[in-house]
Amino acid sequence: MTDANSTMTVTEPEKVRRSPYSAIAPRLEQWRRQFYYFRKSPLAVAGLIITAFFAFLAIFSPLLTTGNPYQMAINPFATNLIPWFSSWRYPLGTTYFGVNLLPAMIKAARIDLAFSLAVVATGAFVGVMVGAFAGYYGGLFDDILMRVTDVFFSVPYIILAIAMIVVFTKSFKDVAGGIYTLLILSLIVIWWPTYARIVRGQVLSVRELKYVEAARASGAGALRVVFKHIIPNSMYPVFVQISLDVGTIVLLLANLDFINIGISNITQPEWGNLATYFNYAQVGLTLALQYPWTFIVPGMAILLYALGLNLLGDGIRDILDPRMRR
Amino acid sequence: MKMWTYIVRRLLAMIPVILGVTLLTFLLTRAQIGLWIASLLGRIRTPSARLAIIRQYHLNAPVYVQYFYYLEGLVTGHWGFTSGNDLVAGAYRPVLQVMIERFPNTVELAVLSVILVVIFSIPLGVISAVQRDKIPDHLSRLWAMISYSIPTFWFALLLLFAVSHYVSIFALTGSLSTSPVNYYLTSTGAYQPWVSHQGGLILGTKPTGLLLVDTLLYGDFPAFINGFEHIILPALIVALTNMGVIVRYLRSSMLDVMGQDYVRTARAKGVTEKIVINRHVKRNAYTSTVTIMGLLLAGLLGGVVIVEDIFAWPGIGYWLAQAAIVDDFASIMAGVFVFAIVVVIANLVVDILYAYLDPRVRLG
Repeated sequence: MTDANSTMTVTEPEKVRRSPYSAIAPRLEQWRRQFYYFRKSPLAVAGLIITAFFAFLAIFSPLLTTGNPYQMAINPFATNLIPWFSSWRYPLGTTYFGVNLLPAMIKAARIDLAFSLAVVATGAFVGVMVGAFAGYYGGLFDDILMRVTDVFFSVPYIILAIAMIVVFTKSFKDVAGGIYTLLILSLIVIWWPTYARIVRGQVLSVRELKYVEAARASGAGALRVVFKHIIPNSMYPVFVQISLDVGTIVLLLANLDFINIGISNITQPEWGNLATYFNYAQVGLTLALQYPWTFIVPGMAILLYALGLNLLGDGIRDILDPRMRR
Repeated sequence: MKMWTYIVRRLLAMIPVILGVTLLTFLLTRAQIGLWIASLLGRIRTPSARLAIIRQYHLNAPVYVQYFYYLEGLVTGHWGFTSGNDLVAGAYRPVLQVMIERFPNTVELAVLSVILVVIFSIPLGVISAVQRDKIPDHLSRLWAMISYSIPTFWFALLLLFAVSHYVSIFALTGSLSTSPVNYYLTSTGAYQPWVSHQGGLILGTKPTGLLLVDTLLYGDFPAFINGFEHIILPALIVALTNMGVIVRYLRSSMLDVMGQDYVRTARAKGVTEKIVINRHVKRNAYTSTVTIMGLLLAGLLGGVVIVEDIFAWPGIGYWLAQAAIVDDFASIMAGVFVFAIVVVIANLVVDILYAYLDPRVRLG
């Protein structure tokens, strides 16, 4: 408690300050410094490692798994489930329907990663576009945007997701991969206001800067100013938010799976779906408590994935926002 | 006087948001007009009744005119009926009635969760800021991160698994035990003055609707304790999975205040570290943390939905989670509307509280 004082002022480390590049390449120098701070934080490094691990699983999942983990048992809710850590063939045990958990989860890594990236990338794209132009032009468009985001922020995400899914589920019955399309589209609709709000806030300060004024004075059109000068300089908080949301989306999807309106097809390897297989049984909850590994293992994957991305996002925020670092 | 103008201005700013929410639910109902007509019909589903409904709610008027009739319906309590498959709330019941019945239970759970969040996160946030970059700080930041990243239903199942060796999980579901063993007598030996049904109280026997308050009003302490046993685990789960926001915000606002000039002045005067933290830092950090409570509530209500579903808690969340499966359209729309109103009002209260605590807001 007493040396809270001494840690208040962070003196820049010697080796960063004496960098030879500082005069020639200031941006490179800035990156070096940011990377130094990133490396110094154990939590951020842990987040990077976990995220890299899951990315590795997702990219190489066809190589890591052989055969079909979905060899259906004759009696899906038979009591002869194999517990975790009891056989080499089924290292994390089997879940209902005789599904081998470890390969199923490795297959799921690819689907979950793709799902969350699809939602976040599209949502961020839409949000950045709308937010940048609203912030740049201001006026009525901006006011309307703010009210729209207020509306989206005032309803809990999961309620909005339930509403979207219930309303549009019939329209996506016949579309290929219908439930995925529906989930991705509904989550995009829910998610873009976050980015619009963030970018708009950034743009409001960036558009007053000298170089924007200079660009406008030299005859650049609105499109050029927004795309060349405003968006690139407003993107840092968006990257932070993306890294946080990629984890959050999987959490939301898992919760939707739990209340049975997410992915509810037993042959779809998806972490949330795997963790809620007990929903397919009549006395699901009591069954789950009898075979705890069937939900603990996939849930742990979700937890680690979201945790890794959260730690990473937090680390990035710390290096980009010096106010938080201190 | 200034405070009043601030409150009025803030109240006026609330109106567009609420209108926006009604516009959103309106658009959703128009996207599935068939389902919406079905929920307005309720039990009697003949073609003539359908025509009567279309005429009564002006569903063949131009869309922008329909919006005003929709608003009128909302205000006059025509919220539609639950679907015929809704076993939790009951088939073909008026949605508004179900909402009034279930709303207090969700409020009770949410309020207790917020209280637990505050109790848990203040010490963690303070320790984290004071012991910055040491082991306690890393641990509390890690826990804040975990609480962000933990799937709510999974955490609830883990806790249930942990306690299931000691308690039957059927003793934990609902808001009161209904088994004959636990049928409560009042202190005078008479039967309790309320009637319990499906793990909740019947509407007419609830003075406030909040179970823990009602049992105390009736002076029925065994029932109070039983109710508390039922609520504490769900509330704990919601609180633990949502406290990360407050811990992190409190930590950073503590650090923010600790770098201020007046804190340095206090230290320079020779005030001990303990008094600096308690009197100068904490007070200002708490004030700014109040602003984040609205955001907390929005996230927390999402967790409430999941937890209610697991514990069969007789609130809005359990109802909505079950309604989602059976396409109970009117219930979902009412849920969106009511949750939005709750969050908007909570934000209003938070803003007014903040303006009261920090005069710069209302004067500036």
